[in-house]
Amino acid sequence: MKAPNTRSGESRELVIRGAHVLDPPSGLDGMMDVKVSDGRIAEVGIGIRGSREIDADGLHLFPGFVDVHAHWRSPGQEHKEDIESGAAAAAAGGFTSVVMMPNTDPVVDKPIVVSGLAKRISEESRVRAYITAALHVGLKGERLTEMRLLKEAGAFCVSDDGLGTQSAGVLRNAMLYAKSAGLPVILHCEDHTLSTGVVHDGAHAALAGLPGIPASAEDVATATGLILAAETGARVHITHVSTELSAALVGFFKDKGDISSDTTPHHLTLTDELVSTLDGMYRVNPPLRPDDDRDGVGGALRDGVLDFVATDHAPHASEEKDLPLEEASPGFLGHEMAFPALYTELVTGGKLSLPRLVEAMSCAPGRWVGGSGSLTAGSPADIALVDLSEEWTVNRDTMASKSSNSPYVGKAMASRIVGTIVGGEIVHDIHDIFSGAKFGIRA
Amino acid sequence: MAKDLISVEGMDCEDLREIMDLARDFEEGRLHGTLSGKTVCLAFFESSTRTLVSFDLAARRCGADVVSLSEKGSSISKGESLADTVVTLDMLGADAIVLRHPAVGAAKLASRHTSASIINAGDGCGQHPTQALLDLYALSDSLGGFDELEGTRAVIAGDILHSRVARSVIPAFQTAGVEVALAAPKTLLPLEAEVWNLPILDSVDEALEWGADVLYMLRLQKERMTGALVPSVAEYTKFYGVNKRHLRAGLKVMHPGPVNRGVEIAGDVVLDEASLIAAQVGAGIGVRSAVLALATNAVEAGVAA
Repeated sequence: MKAPNTRSGESRELVIRGAHVLDPPSGLDGMMDVKVSDGRIAEVGIGIRGSREIDADGLHLFPGFVDVHAHWRSPGQEHKEDIESGAAAAAAGGFTSVVMMPNTDPVVDKPIVVSGLAKRISEESRVRAYITAALHVGLKGERLTEMRLLKEAGAFCVSDDGLGTQSAGVLRNAMLYAKSAGLPVILHCEDHTLSTGVVHDGAHAALAGLPGIPASAEDVATATGLILAAETGARVHITHVSTELSAALVGFFKDKGDISSDTTPHHLTLTDELVSTLDGMYRVNPPLRPDDDRDGVGGALRDGVLDFVATDHAPHASEEKDLPLEEASPGFLGHEMAFPALYTELVTGGKLSLPRLVEAMSCAPGRWVGGSGSLTAGSPADIALVDLSEEWTVNRDTMASKSSNSPYVGKAMASRIVGTIVGGEIVHDIHDIFSGAKFGIRA
Repeated sequence: MAKDLISVEGMDCEDLREIMDLARDFEEGRLHGTLSGKTVCLAFFESSTRTLVSFDLAARRCGADVVSLSEKGSSISKGESLADTVVTLDMLGADAIVLRHPAVGAAKLASRHTSASIINAGDGCGQHPTQALLDLYALSDSLGGFDELEGTRAVIAGDILHSRVARSVIPAFQTAGVEVALAAPKTLLPLEAEVWNLPILDSVDEALEWGADVLYMLRLQKERMTGALVPSVAEYTKFYGVNKRHLRAGLKVMHPGPVNRGVEIAGDVVLDEASLIAAQVGAGIGVRSAVLALATNAVEAGVAA
């Protein structure tokens, strides 16, 4: 992270007073004060005072969100996003930790690329960023990467994300090797012999004449990945689950291995009806699915079958999206709109409780990366401050990301991330509540 | 008709009748020179013979200035985006842009970037609305009038999955009152073909049993003829090809062209009196003249007669 930017003479202590604090695993749920000291949570309770205070009355305070799936496009595709802008987008969305995917140019498959990235993260990122290295050289699903050297250079986990390993035999070996290297494997489950289209193979594909990606393209690969995870005992995380059947498969295998899973805000809130617009904006992989899948995946997240939400933040420049759908690059922005979209659609819609959403965006992915997503004393002071009552409309011109390919542009949102703190540092402060301009710092 | 013709969606039976009536006025020489002073751009980014030629002739006979460009030799081959190309044509004064493009949604995208009329001349496997309109023209002509379409039974047979013609013909025929069924193996149908809520038949023989008055045959593309989607031409032809044996009194055979003789239609059926294939091609100029004239407000719908 960037060096602390505390103004001279200011204490490293901060007390956030009167927010509704919610941290389900530690049982915190009510109006409380949170004291931050030296980058860590010092104390949570009632009547806490300090040399520097802000009044957060009316706001909610959660452990900072953790996004286990993001494409920050660096190195090589910095016209879409870079580390600084990716981190700014994350901070604007309340994310305090992000796991970066390796399908960059060059691919993150050599120790020198990992160490270079680690150096740039330390200089340019205002949130915690974890590096995923490739599982196979060039993401080609053939030769294993040097996982132990990659780990020494700073890689946190390994993945062939973006493509997915096609051969079950190759994947099995990679899981075994990753296990001995002590690296979690993130699986993008997609069978390319089935996945030859651009949108979900359903009624809207039929009517539009768009080539379809059947649900089986994901389900077959998910089943393969889960069977191999159970057999090898590797630590395996199934990412962006988008079908009801894949969620059910995860449920079946969950206690048969070291297995976890996530789904995305867009698969929880949108359906393939949007592809009838033929707009390149709505191309994404895995594709938007029909109502049944959206609801099935939502139910699996609610019930804890799917562990958490990850955004698959995938920035693309306008010239890569303003194309006929078949020619557009697949992917949506994820960081900035994740919580507002899920809160608006699922929590106010009565489909998901607020505690479960916080658990799924902060606590569970925080445990997955380790040591994040908690407000217990001693935890890193990673915090999201949210105004659940603020209504606003998503504007493509005010994104913190370098890109603006959010499927929620123009949509009304019923909550807003007003502040983000990483290790005690304020990295997002949309209404200047920390500057003292609005609430005043009391001695 | 609206400024753009992207698909037949949104047209009602009266809209179709108006286009048919106007097409007849053009064909019978009662209207001419209506596009004089207008500029029509033919932007064909995929090969075409009958569609390109009939739009070209339609525009010229109506007195328009016609500009043609194709991917080869245009700035598209230098990497210019479709949106930028359309804006350029707009700036150069195009009143209508007739667009053929390999990607679904190209015409819709183009329409967002220009005030010129966009006429979709085929976008990937998406839509081909003027084909469906000229098919209606040829069919109603052969039946003795537009009103005769009501209750006629048509079976669309062949590669529905990859057919922009089918995606325009199905709604156009239904709007005109034609009862439609489909005939194709599952490998040449979308996974959720039931979205159309139409009978799905398994052979030309079944189509005749269903009471087809019209067999609308689709071209089987060569690369799909053998292998994973269809085992062999012989098997396909036996079940989904039309031959002389199928022809019974009053049966019409249609095809958007180009025909694979001996595959979807036996050679001796192509020129049989049951075949409307030549009439379909013949309807192209009148129908496309009508579409260009309506889209550019060169004539008011209902004016002609």
